[in-house]
Amino acid sequence: MTAYLLRRTGQALVVVFGVMVLTFVMIHLVPGSAARASLGTRATAERIALFNAANGLDRPLAAQFVSFVQQAAEGNFGTSYSLHQPVSTLIAQRLPRDGVLLGLSTLLALSVALPMGIFQAVRRGRVADHVLTVVSFVLYSMPDFFFALLLVAVFSVQLHLLPSQAPQAESVAGILADPRALVLPVVTLTLVSVAGFSRYMRSSAIGTLAQEYVQVARSKGLPERLVLRRHVLRNSLLPVVTVLGLSAPTVVAGAVIAESVFNYPGMGLLFFQAATSKDYPVMLGSTLVVGVATVIGSLLADIAYSLLDPRIRYVDA
Amino acid sequence: MPPLLEVRNLTTHIRTRRGTVRAVDDVSFTLEAGETLGLVGESGCGKSMTGLSLMGLLPPGGAMVGDSSVALDGRELVGLPERDLRRVRGNDIAMVFQDPMTSLDPTKTIGHQVAEGVLLHRGCSRAEAADRAAEVLGLVGLPHPRERLKDYPHQLSGGLRQRVLIAMALANEPRVLIADEPTTALDVTIQAQILALLADLRARLGMAMILITHDMGVTAGHTDRVNVMYAGRIAESTGTDRLFHGMRHPYTQSLLASVPRLDQDPGKELPTIPGMPPDLTDPPGGCRFAGRCRYATDRCRTDEPELTGSDQHRYACWHPTDGPLPPSATAAVPRATEAAAPAVHDRPLLEARGLVREFPVRGARIPGRGRRVVHALSGVSLELAPGETFGLVGESGCGKTTLGRLLVGLDRPDTGTVTLDGTDLGLLRGRELRRRRRDLQMMFQDPFSSLDPRMRVGGILREPLQIQGIGTAREQKARVAELLAEVGLPERGAELYPHEFSGGQRQRIGLARALALTPKLIVADEPVSALDVSVRAQVLNLMNRLQASHGLSYIVISHDLAVVRYLADRIGVMYLGRMVEVGSADDIHLRAAHPYTAGLLKAVPVPDPQLERAKLGTGISGELPSPVDPPSGCRFRTRCPLARERCADEEPALRLFGAGHTAACHFPLQQPLPDTPAKAATDASA
Ligand code: SF4
Ligand code: SF4
Repeated sequence: MTAYLLRRTGQALVVVFGVMVLTFVMIHLVPGSAARASLGTRATAERIALFNAANGLDRPLAAQFVSFVQQAAEGNFGTSYSLHQPVSTLIAQRLPRDGVLLGLSTLLALSVALPMGIFQAVRRGRVADHVLTVVSFVLYSMPDFFFALLLVAVFSVQLHLLPSQAPQAESVAGILADPRALVLPVVTLTLVSVAGFSRYMRSSAIGTLAQEYVQVARSKGLPERLVLRRHVLRNSLLPVVTVLGLSAPTVVAGAVIAESVFNYPGMGLLFFQAATSKDYPVMLGSTLVVGVATVIGSLLADIAYSLLDPRIRYVDA
Repeated sequence: MPPLLEVRNLTTHIRTRRGTVRAVDDVSFTLEAGETLGLVGESGCGKSMTGLSLMGLLPPGGAMVGDSSVALDGRELVGLPERDLRRVRGNDIAMVFQDPMTSLDPTKTIGHQVAEGVLLHRGCSRAEAADRAAEVLGLVGLPHPRERLKDYPHQLSGGLRQRVLIAMALANEPRVLIADEPTTALDVTIQAQILALLADLRARLGMAMILITHDMGVTAGHTDRVNVMYAGRIAESTGTDRLFHGMRHPYTQSLLASVPRLDQDPGKELPTIPGMPPDLTDPPGGCRFAGRCRYATDRCRTDEPELTGSDQHRYACWHPTDGPLPPSATAAVPRATEAAAPAVHDRPLLEARGLVREFPVRGARIPGRGRRVVHALSGVSLELAPGETFGLVGESGCGKTTLGRLLVGLDRPDTGTVTLDGTDLGLLRGRELRRRRRDLQMMFQDPFSSLDPRMRVGGILREPLQIQGIGTAREQKARVAELLAEVGLPERGAELYPHEFSGGQRQRIGLARALALTPKLIVADEPVSALDVSVRAQVLNLMNRLQASHGLSYIVISHDLAVVRYLADRIGVMYLGRMVEVGSADDIHLRAAHPYTAGLLKAVPVPDPQLERAKLGTGISGELPSPVDPPSGCRFRTRCPLARERCADEEPALRLFGAGHTAACHFPLQQPLPDTPAKAATDASA
């Protein structure tokens, strides 16, 4: 078990380094220069040269990459061209806010999607299953931003029930102090994930229900409720856990959209703004954060899997 | 006093998309404490569904209809609210399911799974439930039950898992135990142990048992009375002895006749039951067996026969027969070789010398102990003459499938050679190898998973011709038609997909595919074990006929000794990667020299109640040791009743016991020929 975790962590570190290389290369391949974006189109050649020299952009790519990695290791991602603050400060400010938004919505999504998937599997082929299937497909296929705007149109503009703007407070406590403003962004992200997760859970639970041990559990005289809770839930979770770990990028992509619609000052919004203004250091920093989050996500999924499934846990025993 | 269990007019319907399946139709029987009732029949006859109906565990869409009645000790169970039924389930009536590999929850400890039912019905504390779990696990013969409560199912072998399942069913001392094919997924040796265990427990606990099985041998040895079911109805119901020797229903008669027996005359074709059971969404009027019955008349097709006869013997037939089919009822089988004499040819078709194959153990690599390997084959040699059939038997894990794959070139040995017609296959490469492979074909156990479901049968049969570039498109088409005719399928079958065929027909397709390149040798890995008894006989006859007309050689790998006995001229018995005995079919069956062979034969249930009951012991005790650390000396010594010190120190060499009969044992059951070192013995040690 420990050996397994060490091995997986080692692999994760390698992947993180790969992510750094890839993001660095890709961002520098994108046309358009940071200097122009930052100084405006009418900047003189001299000023551009000066900007490049000041930011080390005139050095060869390899040299730039080495210093990027060195600094990154010290937690230094450079200074934002447009916001004129250290990137690490920006990330440190915003990451906790994303923790709130994504954590809340993922938890909510799971607590809805898992029972819903099992319920649909039990009711497979009946009306309730069909209705929920249609609902999930509609949610799943609707573009995130459209869905967010729809919610705003109905609940803020029409009904005046909820604010259309997310809480703007600096601190996590400040955000949580304004729960009403948090509702729409959280609901948007939750519903989008519920659609996906419940589909996985449904098909996985259908597989589990067909297993002979479920019938055996019933033959002991267990009530169906206990059969589902003790024998179906955990076994159906196994494949879903893996999918969850890999879905981090999708969730982040959703967050970028939701944050810009609701003007929520998180990583997504930061990245969105950085991308439009070609703010390399911020883009690099935030891509790296997302990459690391994805790797950690799948690492956590593997750990959860090995805890849920004794067949994995006992391989080295 | 009412009988312990009384089932009257049980009728179970299952609504599906295709219509209502009348899975069980008007079934009535009684069961007394301490007796075992067999429910016997082929797949789809309603025997399992009867069991599930008694448990109230029908699949979605299933319901007992009409005046179905199930009374336990006079208490009606049909129509009882689910809450009350749950108190009966697992408490008064319990069930053991077929497949021990899938019947245990992989994420829960076995202690938890056994204790779960105790906790539910007895309302005791967790500790008490755990005590009871350890107690029943001990009762079913799990060694050191208390320490193993925390084991997970994947840590146990198939046989031990089946014991755990039985423990689960027995935990609350039920009064009726329903065992649904409890040993079908197990090796014969383990099957014998589990059946003996069930019989012993039934006697000790005074339970009544319903044994659901398709195996006539199991029925003969382990039931008191039998209900033979066909197409959802009881065809015949009587005491076990009378059923085997004085059956009245033609279906029972044909069913028994189509089972290859150990004492079967291999020179005769097996009697078969033509056709297939009727579709139960729309069963035919009249007798449901009429379409396949050799005695059917017009009356049979219009009027449905009721169960008649005495209380001791009831049967539903207008023209009851009397006793088994006479042995003369079947045609002689044309044989390619003289079955009796192990042919001595100038040059064997296939020759394997000292084959060794080892696989690394996945995942588990313990530092300091080096690389661990599974010793799948440890020096196996064999010879096969043209036109000969060689049978390979042994428990699962003995290496017989690995050997089969090596012989057809699907895998390469680590050391040793396979020679076909004088050419060493290991030296061939590329085109030459591919051309040679034509002569070697494989036929698989599961006819469904080995046929591509998205290809039409015509395409499946043409593929090998296309790969080898044989003939024009038109010639290939003609060849496909020819192949289909040869295996007895209609020509338009080429246009259909595999799922449109029944299991037996799919196995015919598998055989046709193997024949497409006119091979010299076909290795058939469990060719009929996935098939129903009546269909099995058809495929076996077909294999025999094709052998005669094409001069084919077969290597038949099977755990079913009767099947091997029927097909094979010579038989090799394998144990843990070694060939322990080789001889003619008669040598093996009548003059077995190796204790393992003798034990294996004893474990095979024979469809004869007297013979079956006269057996003492179960054949072989214990389970196959791990092929990672095989025992020193004779690998069988951990289970051998004759083992002595020498067996652990010294590996026995193959010795000669007669012409073509060799065995590797220090203390054999037969007298070896004096001082004649077997030819094979020198090879094996090489
Ligand atoms: S009733 Fe007729 S068709 Fe049916 S088993 Fe008897 S003889 Fe055969
Ligand atoms: S060599 Fe010894 S242990 Fe092996 S089969 Fe013979 S008697 Fe048994």
